Amino acid sequence: MKRILSMAAGAVLMTSPALAVDIEVGYPYSHLFDVTYEKIMKDFKKAHPDINVKFRATYEHYEDGTNTILREAVSGNLPDVTMQGLNRQQILVEKGIAKSLEPFIAKEADFEKDGYHKAMLSLSTFDNKVYGLPFSVSLPVGYYNMELMKKAGVTKLPTTWKEVIATCKTLRAGGVQNPVFWGWNITGNWFVQALLWSQDTPIVKNGKANFDGPAGRVALETMKSIFRGCGMKNLSWKDALASFSAGQVAMMFWSTSALGAIERAKGDFELRTSEFPGIDGPPKGLPAGGNAALLVSTSKDPARLDAAWKFLKFITSGVGAAAVAETTGYMPPNKAANEIILADFYKRNPNKETAVRQLPLLRDWLAYPGDKGLAVTQVIYDAIEGIVVGDKDDMKELQQELVEEVNDLLPKGS
Amino acid sequence: MTGGRSSPFAEPIKHAILILGALVVILPFYVMVSYSFKSPREIETNTGGFFGAQQEMVNEYCVKLGNPREACLETPVAFNYSEAFKKAPLLRYLLNGVVVTASIFLIQVIIALPCAYALSKLRFWGRDFVFALVLFCLLIPVHAIALPIYIMLAKVGLTNSYAALVIPWTISVFGIFLMRQFFMTVPDDLIDAARMDGMTEFSIIWKVMLPTAIPALLAFAIFSVVAHWNDYFWPRIAITGNRDLYTPPLGLREFKGGADGSIWGPMMATATIIVTPLIVAFLLAQTRFIEGITLTGMK
Amino acid sequence: MTARAPTHRTHRAGYWFVAPAIVLMVVILIVPILIAALLSFTDYSLGNPEISWVGFENYDRMVNRSTYTRMITATATYVLVVVPASILLGLGAALLINSVKRFNDLYKTIYFLPVMAALLAMAIVWEFSLHPSLGIVNKTLASGCGTAAESVLSFGWLPWVDAQASWYARGCERGFPLCFGNKDYAIWTICFIGIWQAFGFNMVLYLAGLTSVSRELYHAAEIDGATSAWDRFRLVTWPMLGPTTVFVVTITTIRSFQVFDTVEAITLGGPSKSTFVMMYAIYEKAIQQNLIGMGSAITVVFLTFVLLLTLGQRYLVERRVHYS
Repeated sequence: MKRILSMAAGAVLMTSPALAVDIEVGYPYSHLFDVTYEKIMKDFKKAHPDINVKFRATYEHYEDGTNTILREAVSGNLPDVTMQGLNRQQILVEKGIAKSLEPFIAKEADFEKDGYHKAMLSLSTFDNKVYGLPFSVSLPVGYYNMELMKKAGVTKLPTTWKEVIATCKTLRAGGVQNPVFWGWNITGNWFVQALLWSQDTPIVKNGKANFDGPAGRVALETMKSIFRGCGMKNLSWKDALASFSAGQVAMMFWSTSALGAIERAKGDFELRTSEFPGIDGPPKGLPAGGNAALLVSTSKDPARLDAAWKFLKFITSGVGAAAVAETTGYMPPNKAANEIILADFYKRNPNKETAVRQLPLLRDWLAYPGDKGLAVTQVIYDAIEGIVVGDKDDMKELQQELVEEVNDLLPKGS
Repeated sequence: MTGGRSSPFAEPIKHAILILGALVVILPFYVMVSYSFKSPREIETNTGGFFGAQQEMVNEYCVKLGNPREACLETPVAFNYSEAFKKAPLLRYLLNGVVVTASIFLIQVIIALPCAYALSKLRFWGRDFVFALVLFCLLIPVHAIALPIYIMLAKVGLTNSYAALVIPWTISVFGIFLMRQFFMTVPDDLIDAARMDGMTEFSIIWKVMLPTAIPALLAFAIFSVVAHWNDYFWPRIAITGNRDLYTPPLGLREFKGGADGSIWGPMMATATIIVTPLIVAFLLAQTRFIEGITLTGMK
Repeated sequence: MTARAPTHRTHRAGYWFVAPAIVLMVVILIVPILIAALLSFTDYSLGNPEISWVGFENYDRMVNRSTYTRMITATATYVLVVVPASILLGLGAALLINSVKRFNDLYKTIYFLPVMAALLAMAIVWEFSLHPSLGIVNKTLASGCGTAAESVLSFGWLPWVDAQASWYARGCERGFPLCFGNKDYAIWTICFIGIWQAFGFNMVLYLAGLTSVSRELYHAAEIDGATSAWDRFRLVTWPMLGPTTVFVVTITTIRSFQVFDTVEAITLGGPSKSTFVMMYAIYEKAIQQNLIGMGSAITVVFLTFVLLLTLGQRYLVERRVHYS
């Protein structure tokens, strides 16, 4: 009798559905990505009905995301998956909070074929190990108000910064009071890195500031000539985006991530995006913006870790990628998605395609090593602000000061 | 107060000045309420009068989810206010606001009242030192001690809970200071009489001092409730996982922009919603409040 | 002189009553400050496995870096502007409201509104209202260009002023100055918002103080020959408001040293660190940049400053105050 009962029990257990697993996920920029995740979750639930995903309070921005994870590491309540800015992954890797994804990748049959190509994974690779899967990527682009451009008689969109400055002068002569906004104040010194990568130079190398050479000098001089030559006003980026949407600014250089919001809020002018101008020709490289999914779970339960990995894979795969492209101005870095699923989508939304065309230029959004990384970002920010408000005029002097200050803050002897 | 002869022009001039001041003061509120009615385009271009034109606008969120554009039309005011309640569980936040501010105030009173009484009416060695300590603690700002307190709470596993929201505020040195000022104006005879009747010091506090202190307590209540209802900084630090514990100002978070600007309409709707209970409460408590301040004996 | 109740009973009850408050003060306020003081000698950062001592390095940085001198300038400017302005405006509003015959309550409520609104929301609204081209303030100014308003506001009707070169005319031509983007104006705009937020609070305190000034004093003063409003104010009102003023000055000063919300919401300490007030500096270093050692060092300096100032203030002011 007992044997029959236990066999029956065994049979019931084997045929009942797998127990549901819970995972917790945190992501930034609620107003941008809420709709993306809502869309993805519809398909995720169909594909993985046994995984319950609970979304935590969203992070306000990338720095808030990193600081929240650090606090949660101390108080012992980390989520399973967290979306972090590409330049904020390093610090979590350094402190051992982000877990390596290599064991999971090793178990995958055809990872490359699913679109996870090397260039994309390199954005989240540290010490030759993959720690994250990039989810949404952005590149700098130029936004142009075609109505103002036509009014001033500008027919060709600029491709180098010298042409931009010349266009500014034409625009001013045509009565445009506010010809340009250049996003120097975007988070993480992104545009400074853009000017350096345009010359194929990383901003830090071997743990030291790498802009003490001619490339750094050129970057500073270019910024100065744009700010002075165009008479650019010191607007906060929030104010600048509002001004552009209202049709007051003719040219804006910013991340493609704002495209969705601008298209939504803009007045009745024709908006065109175009490639980010280069220094003496097209840029040789551009830093990738955006965020990646990291595994920070402290759970020892293999089912839970497996569920987290499934989630990571799903959101960065074709389906997730399509949702990213359709709902935001970001690009999914998944090759398969971009070339197959979204080919038609980009034809219908040419403004979003600009960033995709620049994908071959993708480079790292570098983080400054050590604890004082964010202080370094602030120092560089303050220096560029000095150029904008007119405090700093001698670029050679500024370069020296900057290199000194930054190296002082970076960890010694690395 | 201005007894005696005053010219017939004085009164209108005073009103003129007061009205001018009132306009400056009320400007942001006007903008806030007005924007809570408007569509994004109207906000960006600053058109539409006070109420906005209320032309139907497209709800982009609903379009992005895959619905056809025609199904996603709504008037701006409906959009803004419904987003305010949908994006964040605002009703829950308001409830949390009530629970948290009420708990904080109650505990503050329980701690502060006896202390204020002792500092004003009882003599014991070290009394002046304790008062100096109170004054010193008034200077300590929360931002400076936020992280150490967070770590301490983390060590006892209390983060992400109502306790984390309430505990750091249970000591209100401002309250002790205020109530002490008030108690110093209560005549000693009242207390001596109670003592003669055989009351213990403890019951004196709650049966004699408390009833006379109602106006001052009301003043304390207004300061405390307003401050903690509007507190954005500490809940953001202490609560990281569970949104259900957020207090009202954090409802603004959902709409605070990052890479591409804020969504103004619903944000202003949220701001209007969270300030309304306070204004209502203030209007109701107004006269008792002024009375309370008077009686705290700024003499 | 009635005999006091037995003193030993009074003593002990006193200890019991202050004990919970003291315990909480120590645990919640004092201990964290001590921890901060200790950490100010380290370079601790959240997530680090261990703490390493660096001695006075953080304090050294504070003295040498220009960022920190600008921090002190910004804080000092803010306090020196907001405290007197919000007290004077509060007093003025209280006097005016007290003396008009109608609509007192309405004015009172309106002036107290800023105190009640969430500062974060208000800061955002102010930021938008002061947007250089879209904000309601600048738009209103711009719409006055070329009309009668321009001729008035550019002061062209004063014979020695050249209307074309005035700020208004130049603004019409090239766009009005940036309230937050210009490093010379940003701190004044932040001060303005601070005054806007604080003076209602002081007004209410003064209103209460005014109601306790007894009429007999005014009658007595009038008999002694004080007939003008200014005399009445100088001889009766102001001295009697002494204790209120002490309270108002203390609280306003402490609160203005602790200014944070507006800076965090709008200027982030800029431009060129012109609004880099100490509270924001602490937040930026300790929480945002995760440099707890440095943030703690600024905290210690901040507390020392404020403590010395408050002591000095109490010493100077208390001596002159009239307690009845």
